[in-house]
Amino acid sequence: MVMPDWLSNLSVWVGEIMIGVGVVSDVIAAIGMLRFPNFFVRLHAATIGTIWGAFLPLVGVAILSVGADYLGSYRWFMGGGALITAVLILILGPAGSHALARAAYRSKAAKVEPKCVDHLEEHIRGEERDRNA
Amino acid sequence: MAGIEQQVTTFTLIMFPIYILAFTLYIIRAVKGPTIPDTVLAIDAMTYDLAAFLVILSIFFRSPILIPTAIVLALWVYALDVYVSKYLESKEMGG
Amino acid sequence: MRNVIATPETLTYGVLALLGLISLVGTYLAIVEKDLLKAVLFSAIQSTAYAFIFYLLMAPDIVLVYVPVAVGLYPAIVLFLIKKTERFEGDGNE
Repeated sequence: MVMPDWLSNLSVWVGEIMIGVGVVSDVIAAIGMLRFPNFFVRLHAATIGTIWGAFLPLVGVAILSVGADYLGSYRWFMGGGALITAVLILILGPAGSHALARAAYRSKAAKVEPKCVDHLEEHIRGEERDRNA
Repeated sequence: MAGIEQQVTTFTLIMFPIYILAFTLYIIRAVKGPTIPDTVLAIDAMTYDLAAFLVILSIFFRSPILIPTAIVLALWVYALDVYVSKYLESKEMGG
Repeated sequence: MRNVIATPETLTYGVLALLGLISLVGTYLAIVEKDLLKAVLFSAIQSTAYAFIFYLLMAPDIVLVYVPVAVGLYPAIVLFLIKKTERFEGDGNE
């Protein structure tokens, strides 16, 4: 299957722009992970690093590999693998972060630092009181 | 056609040191991390980015057989995440 | 064409050296650390660096076997053992 020249050029450019945005947000997430004060604030940086830093470049690679004619017909395999990895990261990254945040809150491993009101803590305390009564 | 090949190779070469810088910063946080969830979160985010980088490198090396390693890496690091959170919660429940 | 090929190989060797250094730091911290849960996580850093080294040495079949064993099964077994026994390493006088 021969692709028109402008289409492969366009897909390579779009893929490169997506990879570039992903790399820049990756560095931003790493700096945020290093500079933020405690665990529950660092979760925001992890969100940037997972979705913008991993999901977006993988979709960009999938688009780029469609237009990269020099890879031969194996480029469909490479694009499909990149797309599957992107979908897996889109599902698994938030699920892992939520499990970790729940465990850190319940076991009191990390302090909830900038806090005005905490309804979940009152709820858990009320549950414990009901269980003891 | 040679123009596209040259362009993609040069672009990936520019991306190479920036990714390595990001991984170094993540590892500094993973080593320093005051609590356990900090370390796990840093390893988690680093490995998802590493999976993206492995896919980009397989475009760079022009070998399609390198692709499935990224899928395996992304799946098993999630397992590490779940193990540690299950350990922390089970200790809180007193089990 | 030769000098186009030469630049990526030099960069690859530099990254290999950096990854070896990172895995050395991870192994040292895993041995020294008294909190065994943190030691498991440092050994996870080391095995991730090894997986990337195997990838750069063009051995994807070894990566496919090494990642489930060193990132998946080994921390699971060690965390199960820590849960059954105790988390902090003693001084030896108890």
